[in-house]
Amino acid sequence: MFENAGSRLKAWLVAGIGTAAALALAGVLGAFGARHEPMQLLAPTGRIETGQWLLRPLRAYTAEGENLYGAPLKPGARALVLEVEMTNRTAKSSKDYFDVLQATVDPSSKPFIVLTRDSTLSPELHPGMPERMAYIWELPGGSAPPASLDLTVIRKTYKQRDNLYGLPGWFNPAPAGTLTLPVGSGPDTADIQP
Amino acid sequence: MMRKTANIVLLLVAVAFCYGLQMSKPHYGDLIGPIPARGKMGETIVGRNFEARAEKVAFARNLKVDRFGETKILTTGGVWAVVTVEFAARAQSTSVAVASWRGPTGLAYDQTERMSFADGLLPVAIDPGLPKKARLVFELRPDEASNATLLISEKLMSALDSQAEISLGPVATASDGLPASTVDTLDMSQPI
Repeated sequence: MFENAGSRLKAWLVAGIGTAAALALAGVLGAFGARHEPMQLLAPTGRIETGQWLLRPLRAYTAEGENLYGAPLKPGARALVLEVEMTNRTAKSSKDYFDVLQATVDPSSKPFIVLTRDSTLSPELHPGMPERMAYIWELPGGSAPPASLDLTVIRKTYKQRDNLYGLPGWFNPAPAGTLTLPVGSGPDTADIQP
Repeated sequence: MMRKTANIVLLLVAVAFCYGLQMSKPHYGDLIGPIPARGKMGETIVGRNFEARAEKVAFARNLKVDRFGETKILTTGGVWAVVTVEFAARAQSTSVAVASWRGPTGLAYDQTERMSFADGLLPVAIDPGLPKKARLVFELRPDEASNATLLISEKLMSALDSQAEISLGPVATASDGLPASTVDTLDMSQPI
């Protein structure tokens, strides 16, 4: 009886030590640290690489919804415009830029994305050809124009075969960092970088 | 001892063989990809449902298009390439909708989406015995103009269907990096 209880205690001890060692090893390898990493703060004057895109923020401003690159805004609405130079880094023409920049203005409103060159609404961008694009968010009626624009940059990862079809593509959107831009007033705001 | 060594060698050979099989397995995307029908410029390329013959390639800095009676100049950061292609249906009416320009380094440029309103672009509906011409308009980097391949298929997901692959041949380059035959403005309202 006594001997039996001793062996049981030994078994509990061994199991406990094993579990503790496993947890400690996982902690050392960083299993619990990943969640607490703070979001990277990106410099607004510079190039931001998101896997598929190379972004160069140029300017942000608010304006009345007239002649804003032909975006179909409600009459009289104010809009927040972000102009950014985008370069397709992949080998194929793509328009996978709808989620690359997320504004904290009003997350429910999807922006209109326009090629500023000739006001084409969300055209495909071609490999290695930088284009100036405008993200246009309609501001809710009666709200004061924001003094700065906080953006979250989303990046995706390339997978040679995805789990569903076994075909190559860009998956797993994840935030790459945040960015704050000053918001000017009116479309004659100067670019923040040449 | 001898037998044991032979077994180990056999095992290693089997491992290497299986690894080789795994490495050389074709990609699923290639297995169900389009079936190429290859040819050169000026040749008639025969696919399953359609025939295509590339007639000429023109390069331009700007394109002039008419939209609802107003003239518009489309500029580009690279160069415009306009390929005139004659299509014909084989046994039944069909339509050809997708084309892309594959440059010498493998970059693939889809047809431009900036002039969806102009005449004579894809998609083009073709009927047997009634050949029809169309213009394929691409916006590309000047260094992707030479030795390019034109890829034409009926629809976007042309899995296990034919895709015409037309090699367009070398293009002479001028001192400014653009193709030597680049014109300043190409009028897209002219008949094909």
